Amino acid sequence: MFATVNFDDMKNSSKILLGILAVVALLAIWGFSVYNKLVAADEKVQSSWAQVENVYQRRADLIPNLVATVKGYAAHEQATLEGVVEARAAATAVTVDASNLSEAQIAAFQQSQGALSSALGRLMAIAENYPELKANENFRDLQAQLEGTENRIATERMAFNKEAQAYNTMVRRFPNNIIASICGFEKKGYFQAEEGAAKAPKVEF
Amino acid sequence: MYSAFRSRLVIVAALLVFMLPLPLAAGIPPAPVPARLVNDFAGVFSLSERQALETELVAFDDSTSNQIAVVTVASLDGMDAAQYATAIHREWGVGGAANNGIVILVKPKTANEGGDVFITTGYGLEGAIPDAYCKRIIENEMIPHFRENDYYGAVEAALVQLKALACGEISEPREEEDDFNFVAFILACIIFMAIVALLIFLVDKASGGNGGGISGGGGGRGGRIVIRPSRMPGGISAGSFGGGSFGGGSFGGFGGGLSGGGGAGGRW
Repeated sequence: MFATVNFDDMKNSSKILLGILAVVALLAIWGFSVYNKLVAADEKVQSSWAQVENVYQRRADLIPNLVATVKGYAAHEQATLEGVVEARAAATAVTVDASNLSEAQIAAFQQSQGALSSALGRLMAIAENYPELKANENFRDLQAQLEGTENRIATERMAFNKEAQAYNTMVRRFPNNIIASICGFEKKGYFQAEEGAAKAPKVEF
Repeated sequence: MYSAFRSRLVIVAALLVFMLPLPLAAGIPPAPVPARLVNDFAGVFSLSERQALETELVAFDDSTSNQIAVVTVASLDGMDAAQYATAIHREWGVGGAANNGIVILVKPKTANEGGDVFITTGYGLEGAIPDAYCKRIIENEMIPHFRENDYYGAVEAALVQLKALACGEISEPREEEDDFNFVAFILACIIFMAIVALLIFLVDKASGGNGGGISGGGGGRGGRIVIRPSRMPGGISAGSFGGGSFGGGSFGGFGGGLSGGGGAGGRW
């Protein structure tokens, strides 16, 4: 009799144990899949951020050449030329940690790059006053490259915002947010639309 | 009973409405169906000019896999030409997996508005066609023709240059997709048969009581093997349907190429 009761108890408790194990296993599988999705989305945001940095770097690389070319024709526009060089130095000094694209980091980045955009805008505006400079083949090529770079910046920023939005939606949606907060996935910042600051310096012929 | 049916109908209708392709955020025209490379929304080309361009561009796509789309629009919808052209390039997916697409966007000059032209280059062609080259092509080749209202001449002149530049970077004849489809179809058949055989084996092995549950799973499995209509020969003939009206070869469709905003524009 003792043996029979013990046997029944064991059967029941092992059933309960199995049930608990099954629930835990299901939860774990769900958790892993959410985690993996978050990682994939995070990777996408980071790679689109890399593209954003690339195109800003491309612009920064164009500037020394551009400044040198303008200097050859408009040397006494010292203040404007220095303004661009300083803004470039300030902008390249702001680095963003790709694994932590917080709102504050992106805002700081955007502000420094915006300052460079306006300095460049002023430089391109004074170039209008120098017909010889405007006719220079090298300057025209640089100008085309600069315009193209500004378009690239706009395009990559838009692509980044799209990825960041997809990621943020995933992180904040229930029940993903439980896993996200446990594993430390944080909301990413966006590029804000600007009031003309980062608009491509438009040059009419 | 009847009202329940009606409310269900309403729900289905609502779902269908939501499933319609959403208007593109940017206000650009949706990708043409059937796909074509010359999209003269502004109506600046004659029929024969349009056909000649389409034939030329389809041939270029076939022989080098570079896709050049020519788009003319009557209005830029308040956007600048760069934004508009890049949006078309990305939304339509001009170019293949190598992102080797080009979009030539033309907004003709009107009585109160100047003309706008923009050439976008896909990521894969940025090296072969730098922005400065695009700018030169526009200023030296296109705008002189535009000034004389010769839109066809302008596009043709640009194409000569762009084709030569693009060829230098990527020049691979487009693969015959039919062969690939056939192989994929056979593979899908084999996998399907293997799964059916496995199911029969499992059902045989399992006792009668369990049979229902297992075959239920089988239904799910079977549903997974979906051969997309576009990959079947039927889908391809749908693609060539539009080409027929052009007389020239048929265009296989845009390949999802992306542009990062490269290229240049001009005005006249």
